[in-house]
Amino acid sequence: MIEATNISKQFKVHQALQDVSFTVKQGSVTGLIGPNGSGKTTLIRIMNGVLGASSGQVTINGLDTAREAEKVLAICGTLTEQSGLYENMSGRDNLTFFADVFGLKHAQKRIDELVTLFELQDYQHRKVGTYSTGMKKRLGLARVLLHRPSILFLDEPTNGLDPDGIQMVLRIIRQLNQEEKMTILVSSHVLSQLSAVCDRYIFLEKGRIVEEGTEQEIVSRYLSTPKLEVEADMPDGWHTATDYTPEIISAHQAMFQLTSREDIPLLLRQLTEHGQVYQARITGSDLESIYFAIREAHHHE
Amino acid sequence: MNNRQAIRALVRKDIRSVTASVQLWLPMLIVPLIIGIIMPSALLWAASRMELRSLGNISFLLESLDALTHSGQIPQLASMPTDNHRIVYYLAMYMFAPLFLIIPVMASSILTANSFAGEKERKTLEGLLFTPISMDTLFKGKVLAALIPSLLLSWVTFLIYGIIANILMYPMFGTLMFPNLNWIILVVWVVPACSLMVILLNVLISAKVHGFQEAYQLGGLIVLPLIALVAGQASGMLLIGPWMLLMIGALLLLISMVLLRFVTLWNSRQQLAESQI
Repeated sequence: MIEATNISKQFKVHQALQDVSFTVKQGSVTGLIGPNGSGKTTLIRIMNGVLGASSGQVTINGLDTAREAEKVLAICGTLTEQSGLYENMSGRDNLTFFADVFGLKHAQKRIDELVTLFELQDYQHRKVGTYSTGMKKRLGLARVLLHRPSILFLDEPTNGLDPDGIQMVLRIIRQLNQEEKMTILVSSHVLSQLSAVCDRYIFLEKGRIVEEGTEQEIVSRYLSTPKLEVEADMPDGWHTATDYTPEIISAHQAMFQLTSREDIPLLLRQLTEHGQVYQARITGSDLESIYFAIREAHHHE
Repeated sequence: MNNRQAIRALVRKDIRSVTASVQLWLPMLIVPLIIGIIMPSALLWAASRMELRSLGNISFLLESLDALTHSGQIPQLASMPTDNHRIVYYLAMYMFAPLFLIIPVMASSILTANSFAGEKERKTLEGLLFTPISMDTLFKGKVLAALIPSLLLSWVTFLIYGIIANILMYPMFGTLMFPNLNWIILVVWVVPACSLMVILLNVLISAKVHGFQEAYQLGGLIVLPLIALVAGQASGMLLIGPWMLLMIGALLLLISMVLLRFVTLWNSRQQLAESQI
C-alpha cells in the first residue's frame, strides 16, 4: 500500500506540489491525471524516494521512501519519460547491465522472458540508438520489470507509441495487475487509454489534487445533468413518445437533456413503449469530458 | 544487492561508452602518444646527437645543468663526459617526469566528465537513480571506471617511453639507465594519487554542471599547476627528488580524502536527481 501524506515540493521559486495526500491500495491500478506541469512526474519521483519532498511523507508498505529509498526502489519499478537507456549499447546489453546493477541471479533467463513478452527478439542485438520510440518504450518497460517489482510507476507509458504499441502496453499493464497482482500507478494525459485499465483516478492541477475516486464516483459528481443520445425507431415521432423534450438530430437519432441520472430509466421506459430503441449513451461521461469538467471547475482556484 | 556485480557492470559499461566514441578515445591516445612518446623520443634523439652549445635557444637549459652539476644536486652529472650525456640524462630522468602527469590528469578528466556529466546530459543518470544501487556503490563503480583506464594508459605510456629512452641512452651510457627511483615513485605513487584527486574533483564539478563539455573544460584547469612543475624543472629552480615526489603523492591523497568527504556530502541520491531536473 502507498500512503502519501501532505506532500509539498518547492523547486526554488516554483511550487511543484502542494499538500498532496492520497492512498493507493495494494493490487490496484491508479491513474494519475493532469496537464503537463501539474506535478505528476515530481510526485512519482518523490514516491520512489529519488526526490525529496519539501514537507510531508510517503510510505510504501510501511517504508518511509525518503529514508529507506534503496529498500523502496528494490520493490518498485519506475519508467519515466526518459527511458534511461544507453543508446550506444544494444537492447540486450542494456537489460544485462541493469540486471547486474539490480544484482539479479539467472539474469539471462529473465531477460529472455521479457524480450519475448515485449516482442523484442528481432531487435535485441541492435543498438538502442537505432530503435524507434515505441521500441525504446517497450525496452524501457522490460528494464523496469527485470527485478519483478511489486509496485510499478509508469509515467506516460504510451507516449509516442503507435496504436499497436498502445494496445500492447495496456494489455501488459492488465496482465501484470491481474496475474502478478502488481500495484500500478500510471500517469497519462491520453485518458481514453487509462479508462481501459484503471480502477481509480487522481486528478492533479497545479500541484494539488483536485479530484479522486473511481470513474463512476467522479462521473456522478460532475454529471448531475446527463445528456442522453438515443438511436431508435419511433413510428409516431419523438415528441409523442415521451414527456421529455428531445433535440432531434435525425429521424432515428435524438438528444435528451435530463435533469438527473434518475430520469434515464424513466425516459428509456417511455421510449421502449412507443418504439424500438437500438442504442442509448450518455454523452460527456467519458473520462476525457470529465477531465475538462474538473479542470473547468477548478480553473479559477 | 550484489555490490561487486553492480560495480563490475558500471565499470564495463562506462569503459565501453568510451571505446564506442572516437571523440573520447582519440584524444586519450593522441595526448600520451605526443607527450609521452613522440616528443620525448625526438628530443632525446636530438639531444644525443647535436652540438648543443651551438644552439642558442637551449642555453638556459645548459646553464641550469651547469648549476645543477656544480651544486651536486644530481651527483651523476659531474662524472658525465659531455654536455650531450648530461642533457640526455637530465631530460630522460627528470624533465619529462612532470609532463607524464598530464596523461592521467587528461584521461581522468575526460573519463569522469563523460561518466557523470555525460550521463546527466544523455538523461541516463535518472535510470540509474531509480535502481536500488547505493550511492556508495555507484561512486565506487564510477571512480574505478575512470581510474582503471587512466592508470593503464599512464603505465603503458611509461613502459613504451622507458623502452625508447633505454634504446636511445644505452649506446651513450653502456647501461640501462631507466627508470630511476624518481620515475618509479612517480608511476606507482603519484600517478594513482593524482588520478584519484582529478577524478574526485571532476565528480564534484560534474555534479554542479549540466553537460560533458562544461565539466571537461572546468576540469582542464587542473593542468595549470602541472605546467608550473614542468617550468620549474626546466629552469632548474625546482628539482623534484624522491622525497618531494612522496610528499606530492601524500598531499594529493590528502586532498582526495577531503574531496571524497564533499562528494559524499553533496551527492546523495536526492541531490543528484534534483540537479538534473
